[in-house]
Amino acid sequence: MVFEEVTAVWNQFNLTERTIEHLWMFSVSLVISVILGVTLGILLYRHRNYAEPALNGLNALETFPDMALLVLLIPIAGIGEIPTIIACIIYSLLPVTRNTYTGLISVRPEILETGTAIGLTGGEIDRNIRIPVSLPMIAGGIRIAIVFTMGIVTLGGIIGAGGLGAPLQTGIVLLLPEVIIVTGLWVGILAVIFDGCAGLIEKRLTVRYGEW
Amino acid sequence: MVALEAVLTATIQQVILVYASLAVSIILGIPLAVLALYNRSLEKIIITFANLVQAIPTFAVVAIVVPLMGIGFWPAIFAIMLRALLPIVKNTWIGLSSADPASIDAATGLGLTRWQTTRFIRFPHAYPPMFAGIKFAAILANSVAILTAIIGSGGLGTLVFEGLAGINITTMLAGALPAIGIAILLDVSFTRLEHRLTDGRWLGKNNEKFS
Repeated sequence: MVFEEVTAVWNQFNLTERTIEHLWMFSVSLVISVILGVTLGILLYRHRNYAEPALNGLNALETFPDMALLVLLIPIAGIGEIPTIIACIIYSLLPVTRNTYTGLISVRPEILETGTAIGLTGGEIDRNIRIPVSLPMIAGGIRIAIVFTMGIVTLGGIIGAGGLGAPLQTGIVLLLPEVIIVTGLWVGILAVIFDGCAGLIEKRLTVRYGEW
Repeated sequence: MVALEAVLTATIQQVILVYASLAVSIILGIPLAVLALYNRSLEKIIITFANLVQAIPTFAVVAIVVPLMGIGFWPAIFAIMLRALLPIVKNTWIGLSSADPASIDAATGLGLTRWQTTRFIRFPHAYPPMFAGIKFAAILANSVAILTAIIGSGGLGTLVFEGLAGINITTMLAGALPAIGIAILLDVSFTRLEHRLTDGRWLGKNNEKFS
């Protein structure tokens, strides 16, 4: 009974295609924000003078309501997937950058000195000690980025990006409770699964490389 | 052109939505955190639930409220509260449960009851994370309050959605820009409040390890 109703809604609103669109935007945004965020984190670590103003700027962007940010992007990037992906990146940049920077900078000096004592060069210390030790922190940042990206990709449905936000909006506007429930629960389940997997990876990295 | 009056009305509605839902979240959130402190199994349920709901996209939360409660002001408050409650509960709980065991022992040794220990030892210790949680919740509430306009809550989101429907960039911005202004004001004012309430007065000068 329930199963049939769910499949009816699922097929009528093409939820398979919507899910693919959703995950596509999600992956593209996440990959770009991780690459940009980690790079920016490393750059800030190299040039520490810029770290505070840069992180403060990103922090201020973070307080912007997500819907307002999407709207601000419309005159620049139009509607659809592009502004959605840009908004995802803007939001996810802070957690990834901040955690990369904090992770790299807060490696305990004793550990680094051990590296020097056994004769490692600067580059080797960075590669073999500093980066692995900060991995759990970086993974934590990526996990936050995953939650943010999921949220904004869903919001993208409102500005015509497709994905699972689109049937949610249709459901609200036309007051179709069954569509809202099926899509809403599905989005919720997807989000929890992704967050859970990221949490597991973070935990394993902490066990492997964590300092305590 | 958007009438100034419409923007003002929407801004006032927005502020009411934010503060009303924030008030409800604080009133519910802090007792929940205290409950979690005293009951192990409850603690597990509350914290697991908090983490789980945090991962769910806001739009999905707002949407699911519609079949449950319908549309309008109160469903919107409920949806915003679902979002804003979690940082408050979690941060208060973290603050309360991470109080220095030695201070707790000392308080017990002085003959303070459990309630007095919570009130005079644990709470002062929990203020900084608690206020950080409340500030985060306020900013989040402002963000969700735009979205709830889609379920008829009023507020600045009304202008945003009106603009989206009519492809009118001016109307959209008339909703979005004041909302960003409110976000920045909330951030600044709560940070100030946080400093005033947590500096010196509660923590005392001899409690450096707390800061």
